[in-house]
Amino acid sequence: MIDLSEAKPDLWKEVMGEGEAAGDIRKCYNCATCISGCPAAEGKPPLLIRSLVRKILLGLEESLLEDETPWSCVSCNKCEEMCPMGVHPFEVGLAVRRWQCRKDQTYLPPSLPEVFSTAHTQAVHKVKDLRKSVGLPEQPPSVVTMPEAMKRFQEMLRATKIVQDNDFVFKAH
Amino acid sequence: MKLGLFLGCNMPAIRPDAERAIRLTLPALGLEIVDLEGYACCPGYGTFPASDEEASLAVSARNLAIAEAKGVDIAVQCGSCYSVMRHARHSLHDEGKKKRVNELLAIDDKQFKGTSTTRHMLDLMYNEVGVEKIKKAIKYSLEGLTATVQYPCHTLWPHEVMGFDDPRDPHMFRELVEALGAKVPRFSREYQCCGGAGGFAARNHPQAVAFAKRKFDAIVDEVKADLIVVSCVTCLMWMDRVQSEFKDETRKYGIPVFDYNQLLAICMGFDPKEVASISVQPREKVIQKILSTPVGGQKG
Repeated sequence: MIDLSEAKPDLWKEVMGEGEAAGDIRKCYNCATCISGCPAAEGKPPLLIRSLVRKILLGLEESLLEDETPWSCVSCNKCEEMCPMGVHPFEVGLAVRRWQCRKDQTYLPPSLPEVFSTAHTQAVHKVKDLRKSVGLPEQPPSVVTMPEAMKRFQEMLRATKIVQDNDFVFKAH
Repeated sequence: MKLGLFLGCNMPAIRPDAERAIRLTLPALGLEIVDLEGYACCPGYGTFPASDEEASLAVSARNLAIAEAKGVDIAVQCGSCYSVMRHARHSLHDEGKKKRVNELLAIDDKQFKGTSTTRHMLDLMYNEVGVEKIKKAIKYSLEGLTATVQYPCHTLWPHEVMGFDDPRDPHMFRELVEALGAKVPRFSREYQCCGGAGGFAARNHPQAVAFAKRKFDAIVDEVKADLIVVSCVTCLMWMDRVQSEFKDETRKYGIPVFDYNQLLAICMGFDPKEVASISVQPREKVIQKILSTPVGGQKG
């Protein structure tokens, strides 16, 4: 049973932001086309984009904050392509994750400090023998191989709200 | 035509043989490649796009600005990188977002104008090189082999931002592989996502494996494919390694998976030890078959 006494009616504004397209989520009429094409709808628990939209529109803040399913999204964008109403379900999934990160630091992906400190999600600068074996230069032309440019890259990131609000996460690196 | 090659993270670190294949095939077909020195992660969907829009757009715009400064468009193989950067340029039509991003880029001595677009490998192969030129460029053929292609989802949807092929009935990839001489039959799960990107395989592993198995069972039962051709490093890594996890006595898996440019490189006569040396499912038999099938039909 859904308890609406604690529902937050403007939750959709908090999750979807200020932009022109923020209100598109209200066009959803519950057809579930988004779910029918979604690979992660087969997960346990399943990612059910339509249900995320319902939670947002009904203002069920606590339930939304506890819902980890949007992190299973494969970003195929089939939902985005197929939605008949222009709700932009994939964008909703991203918006929910960003909102979760703002409300709860434990949601911050572990790959974030990796990208901050090494510019990538893989150690592109540490596979020299492998790259050499296929006839490539030992390192790709990534910023991680350029100390001065890397400093400026990190300085740029330090000026963003997410890094400033979570500096303990990035400081260790 | 000159293009800036965007490498991303997985290809240069885990499948550099695919990178080598791209670096060899593109110039040989008239597409000059330059490096995008100082590039960083696109940033991948599981990183900044899932946590903060402003930082995400700044990191994407920084990559785009590097290409702009060189006066080139971006060429990319990874489906996710393609999607993230197309998406970013699209979002940055919003003047407010663009202004904020340029404030951040100024800290790194860069500016984003929006003049460089991002093009996927399949788009370049089909629309810039073309099937006829590819047919004339190959020395060896896939004749006698049956293949399936994995359309990279990120290059199809949403078609308004990403698409260069028909979003409901794409055909370019199939024609590109047929141009190498292979048979590419239609089958029921042709357009099913590989399921390998994002958090699905990490967070719901058994379900992600079962999801992939459904696709592979259709490939085995309906097509009896000798090989699978992909054009995205995520599809490449996932479709290659997930087969080893299927527990099914009634079917034989172990189908070799190739990136399109790897196959093209082999057909053009480049060394397989450089362009197709890294895999989970063995690829030797198919490579040998190709190298013993010169174009023109005379067996070597």
